[in-house]
Amino acid sequence: MSERSVHGQPDRRADAGTRQLPRAFSDRRGAMIVAGVLASVGAFLAWQASMLDLGDVHLPGPGFFPLLLGVVLVISGALIGINRWRLPEGDAVELGHRDVLIAIAALLAVPIVFEPLGAYVTLGLLGTVMLVLIARIRFPLAIVAAAAGMAVCWVFFQQLLGLRLPTGYLGAGLW
Amino acid sequence: MTGFDHLLGGFAVALSWKGLLYCFIGCLWGTVVGVLPGLGPLAGMTLLLPLTFGLDPTIGIIMLTGIFYGAMYGGSTTSILVRIPGEAASVVTCIDGYEMARQGRAGPALMIAALGSFVGGTFSILGLMFIVPPLAKVMIAIGPSVEVVLILLALGVISVVSAGSRIKTATMVALGLALGTVGLDKLAGVARFTFGHAGLTGGLSFAALAIGLFGLSEILLNLERSEKIKAIAPKLKDLVPRWKDLRDSAPAVGRASVIGFVFGVIPGVSHVVSTFVSYALEKRLSRHPEEFGKGAIAGVAGPETANNAVTGTAMIPLLALGIPSIPATAILLSALTIHGVQPGPLLLTEHPEVFWGLVASMYIGNVILLILNLPLVGIFVNLLRIPYTQLVPIILIVSIIGVYSVNFSSIDIWIMVLSGVAGYVLRKFGYEMAPLLLAFVLGDRLEDNFRLALTMSGGSYATFADNTAIIVLVCALGLLMAVQIAAWVLGYRKSPADEA
Repeated sequence: MSERSVHGQPDRRADAGTRQLPRAFSDRRGAMIVAGVLASVGAFLAWQASMLDLGDVHLPGPGFFPLLLGVVLVISGALIGINRWRLPEGDAVELGHRDVLIAIAALLAVPIVFEPLGAYVTLGLLGTVMLVLIARIRFPLAIVAAAAGMAVCWVFFQQLLGLRLPTGYLGAGLW
Repeated sequence: MTGFDHLLGGFAVALSWKGLLYCFIGCLWGTVVGVLPGLGPLAGMTLLLPLTFGLDPTIGIIMLTGIFYGAMYGGSTTSILVRIPGEAASVVTCIDGYEMARQGRAGPALMIAALGSFVGGTFSILGLMFIVPPLAKVMIAIGPSVEVVLILLALGVISVVSAGSRIKTATMVALGLALGTVGLDKLAGVARFTFGHAGLTGGLSFAALAIGLFGLSEILLNLERSEKIKAIAPKLKDLVPRWKDLRDSAPAVGRASVIGFVFGVIPGVSHVVSTFVSYALEKRLSRHPEEFGKGAIAGVAGPETANNAVTGTAMIPLLALGIPSIPATAILLSALTIHGVQPGPLLLTEHPEVFWGLVASMYIGNVILLILNLPLVGIFVNLLRIPYTQLVPIILIVSIIGVYSVNFSSIDIWIMVLSGVAGYVLRKFGYEMAPLLLAFVLGDRLEDNFRLALTMSGGSYATFADNTAIIVLVCALGLLMAVQIAAWVLGYRKSPADEA
């Protein structure tokens, strides 16, 4: 028998210090914020829908259904928020784990640079960042692994499946 | 042509080299995602969804369905050997399966789980084969008003049987329906919520939303988990179960096949619920209920049979009515729609090769899985030795390429990332993603049919009560809503934590 993490890997995080501990948020406050965001989405939807042709109850127009759903979201968001506000504080919700934040930040950068840099360069960079910062693999090894991964992707997607992924400004003259 | 002729035609498709190859790929990938924690059938199907675009629709659907039931098989392996449910439907198997493994009886547990899965899966395919054709004939005459009520009923049932808070589930349904309104309104030809982006005119990409809500949010949740578990080195020398094991598990397999079959048609979380019901029933009927939790073979045979018996019947609402009852069948709906094949009553007349090819491939897939899962179980367990953090970049890269290749638009990557982050936060606060995705898939049909029904009837709501069938459905819907509202008003809660 051996001690492993939930994913079957040795748990190396235990000695990584508080840097990796998730940030605890008030469950009550967090739940109310989420409910508030949902209600706001509903309000925005209703506002945008009101600018479309609503038709009438007997012959609804394109704005009718979204307006109705917007109102439902506002009401349900408010009900969830009020309901949670009336209940006592629960267990803290852990948000902001280091690895999660890195993954989100890296992923948010992908659609910005995907077409200008090209798919393979972008995804290679994503792979390198994830391997170095999350999997904690040494930088040179991560670069080699990412380059090899991109070569496999190129063969599989571009050559075998015929998928034409963007090559970017740099690759425009090369491919 | 008779049904038997169609079935033979289906076998001709499924036994072609392409049919066999993609069925095998689907089963293999399904087993892998079932084994790996955090990658269930949904993530597995959505990841390979874009790869089906270049395939014949029948072959594409054969591969995706293979992933669905392959994951059910694979989930049992880790439940038994390392006490990690590969996916939600294998949670119950952990209880007695892991205890059997601790007692050195991992082999019989795996064998019984595989045999039970095979029997349950085959039983449900028979049901699928015999129920869909006559049901489709009945449903072929339905108009838009009946379809509206059926969709509302399906969404209502999802809200009721969903594991979380009712109001949160209802909110997710509303949000899913709202997201479904993005894009061009087909009846009026008006662009809604596109904000001038041509890429949004066709609506939000299903693949991007599904991968974001299920795959990406699951990856983010898994990245922050680090609890320790004890892994048992499997002893697989003796896979052959004893006569007593077979005798004890046979009735459980029979009962669980029926339970899974019945629960399969219920929208929502049928594959999970059926395993709990089967386990509870076996414990109640057992002469030695005290053995449950300590390595009772019936506690493995029942749930594993039930979750595989669901896979065939869960497809009945999709194939006969065109209404997906669980997220996995929503992905199948999306795949078929992309190929221009509309599941529903006309599927059997317009595209019989898709239905019968699928049925035949499921028989073959069950055999492939039986062969694949027993001798290769050691290899699948070894997958767990790859650190999850090293798998994440691979999964993300394949997801991004897959999502982009649907429309060749960066907007879809934005949708995937943003819905993944939103899904992660929402799941943290107890919101479920399955109702959102099902509502998103059904949203445009609900709205289009609602408006079409009113237009056809000159704006009269009497169209929603103009025959006995629709009156029965409306009454069922009304009853469902009344019970929900009464339960909420009277303060009944599934559990205080859920409602919070």
